[in-house]
Amino acid sequence: MASKEIPVIELKQVNKHFGNLHVLKNINLQIKKGEVVVVIGPSGSGKSTLCRTMNRLETIDGGEILIDGEKIPKEGKDLARLRSKVGMVFQSFNLFDHMTILDNVTLGPRDVHRTSKAEAEKEAMKLLARVGVDSQAKKVPAQLSGGQKQRVAIARALAMHPDAILFDEPTSALDPEMIGEVLAVMAELAKEGMTMVVVTHEMNFARQVADRILFMDGGEIIEENTPEEFFTNPKTERAKAFLNSISRK
Amino acid sequence: MKDKRLSAVDMLYEEPGPKAKRATAIATTISLILVALLLFYVIRLFYVNGQLQPKFWSFFTKWTTWRFLGKGLIGTIEAALAAGVLTFCIGFLFMVGRICPYRVIRAVATVLVEFTRGVPTLLFIYFFFLVIPQAGIKLNTFWRIALPVAISASGVVAEVLRSGVNAVPAGQKEAALSLGMRPSHVFLKVVFPQAIRYVIPALISELVIVVKDTTFAYVVNFPDLMQNAKVLVSNYDSMLPVYLVVAVIYILINYTLNQISAAAGRRRVRAGAPKVQNTQTV
Repeated sequence: MASKEIPVIELKQVNKHFGNLHVLKNINLQIKKGEVVVVIGPSGSGKSTLCRTMNRLETIDGGEILIDGEKIPKEGKDLARLRSKVGMVFQSFNLFDHMTILDNVTLGPRDVHRTSKAEAEKEAMKLLARVGVDSQAKKVPAQLSGGQKQRVAIARALAMHPDAILFDEPTSALDPEMIGEVLAVMAELAKEGMTMVVVTHEMNFARQVADRILFMDGGEIIEENTPEEFFTNPKTERAKAFLNSISRK
Repeated sequence: MKDKRLSAVDMLYEEPGPKAKRATAIATTISLILVALLLFYVIRLFYVNGQLQPKFWSFFTKWTTWRFLGKGLIGTIEAALAAGVLTFCIGFLFMVGRICPYRVIRAVATVLVEFTRGVPTLLFIYFFFLVIPQAGIKLNTFWRIALPVAISASGVVAEVLRSGVNAVPAGQKEAALSLGMRPSHVFLKVVFPQAIRYVIPALISELVIVVKDTTFAYVVNFPDLMQNAKVLVSNYDSMLPVYLVVAVIYILINYTLNQISAAAGRRRVRAGAPKVQNTQTV
């Protein structure tokens, strides 16, 4: 267990460019154990990129990112080890299409932690039950609904016993009636003390579940605030404008 | 509704109207008549030239003839299988080289792929038949046909496999990496198994070409179906009937392979097809 002072995820002076576009500008950020941080902002603000840098699915040009106080290296065994500590849930689920639901969840523990098949499957069934899709264990992803797939993806991330889970717009690809079931699982996780970084457009979720809101625009964190303050009394003009534009819809 | 899949024909043409139907019927009748005429003409040509005389066909009633052809067929199948497995392995290595992050390896692999794709199979056979023995390396006739055929097809197989790997969505790799899997494991356990599914039909088509290339076996005196057919031809002085029978055998082999390929393609579509929910837990 990491001591309380060391943040689970820490970004120091992180910069990233896509060609001439400065997508992340001097990001400094600490995410404490058990904290739920929700990142919101207009599209193109760099929030997804920020999320993806935290397990180096996006490289960075400057600064450093630390997981449990350990700097993420550019490659090799240590990169893989640190990645295994940070789960990731994607917008488009990214379940392994050629495997059953059960195998999707057991692949990580078996390949990375060398867990035995029986043990991995036992735990996977528990996790699938927890997210309510254990009855689908023998199916392949193509046979599941979007909401079920995303819940499997969450179980897959949980199977690695991560210190934190990153959610990159987890409900943006879902039909409206399935958003609720995924958010419910996420809220449950938050309640159990999981450290979470959530990029989302679900403002109700942000308001109810987040410990802290990060508002991003133009590659910068413009405002950091508590949900209550952010939604009722935002400090910055840009956050005000953003909240206005979405409330009008 | 989702169960009805569009065939290629459905996708290209809309449902024909009465005029189109009549035109189709007329065109079909005319072409059938033309084909029948052509067939009649060919058979008549054979007859006139005496190719239909019993003496050119009677040896097919002998057990030994079929046993001899059967031995050749087994030779063909063995050579094609060995070449097929080999070409897959070489093709896999080339493909790995082509997608390797190191530029030098990538360049070498690219040259090898272009080389094997560009050089005709027969030249590779001459190389293994005429040049390699001079270097003091003794290969038996089996490998003198299987090796060059395999190498000749490997470049195409490499490119087919690579197209499959490229077709696997990037998210699959990202998901596996985010679990903490090493890149080599990600490739072998997540990316490649899916890539293979995309390209099985194309790989089987390449196997058909391998089977056809093994007919070069006569160059190196390996007793395959073609070589044994040649022996029959010279023994019985009966070219047309023998080659006709052999052609039918080749067609049957390759037709079977193509059916397998089509079935594999259909199976993949089914596996990837979204199914209507029926066992949702509420």
